[in-house]
Amino acid sequence: MHSSLIKTIILLCVSGYASAHELTPTYPELETTFVKGVLSTKVKMWNARADVEYYKIEVTNAFWNDVPFITEERIFKLGYMQRREIEVFLPEDTTAQYICTRSMLEKGSESRSIISSKVCSKIK
Amino acid sequence: MLKIVVPMAASILATEFVQAQTEIIGNVDSKCIIVSETPGVYGNPNPYQLTTAPTSGGVQPIIRFDVLAADYYKAVIEHPVSFSSSPTLDDVVTWTGDVEVSEVSDTDMSTYDSDKVEYDNAHEYQMTVAGSTWFKISSVADYGYNKSFPAGQYTAVVEAECIPL
Repeated sequence: MHSSLIKTIILLCVSGYASAHELTPTYPELETTFVKGVLSTKVKMWNARADVEYYKIEVTNAFWNDVPFITEERIFKLGYMQRREIEVFLPEDTTAQYICTRSMLEKGSESRSIISSKVCSKIK
Repeated sequence: MLKIVVPMAASILATEFVQAQTEIIGNVDSKCIIVSETPGVYGNPNPYQLTTAPTSGGVQPIIRFDVLAADYYKAVIEHPVSFSSSPTLDDVVTWTGDVEVSEVSDTDMSTYDSDKVEYDNAHEYQMTVAGSTWFKISSVADYGYNKSFPAGQYTAVVEAECIPL
């Protein structure tokens, strides 16, 4: 168990060399804001995919249906090896369960990447 | 003499008491990272077929999932069922594909393939062991009834998702 964890930590440390997409925390919590009836939460994204520089934020309920939310930019540019803190605002009666970031692949991109990654956090 | 010894002793004891209280706190958060290790390439062994099979000139895409804690995530990988970009096609494309575990960092992951759930073109794996898992995707597109694909560039997308449980 410990050796497995150490291997994983080492892999996580060197994984930036490859092409990775990460979203933390796994379970963000909703907090009240100064605006009545509005909740917010923050997630952090890390882009280590050299072939992707645009990501899309998706907020869905438990059945993967989109729910209303507000954020600074739904599609945003994030350079290679850059991090971004994403704040999401939701109504008090929201049914939101998942906050996800999905890689946006450019049509006709020379890289011809055929892997689209999507990492989600689950609201507690 | 006691006036000096008593405060000194108290001081030493107090210091030791403080040292005994010093703690090192560490947190291991759950985390999932999707790593695109090898982008795929379609080979064109027959005019009517595009395939990622290495024996046909293709390259199978490989995706690595790193999870830092067990039982926090599931991985969902979907092999392509359409082109994201291609020349205009006027006939039906028949898609087949598969996802399989190609490498693991922990032998306890050896049951992932037998335990996976398949629906449509999706392959769902419960990440029950912390560590890294490599998934290999195969994809084949057949055009019409042995009809030649028009010349041009074809791109299809493999979807890799990491979803908290």
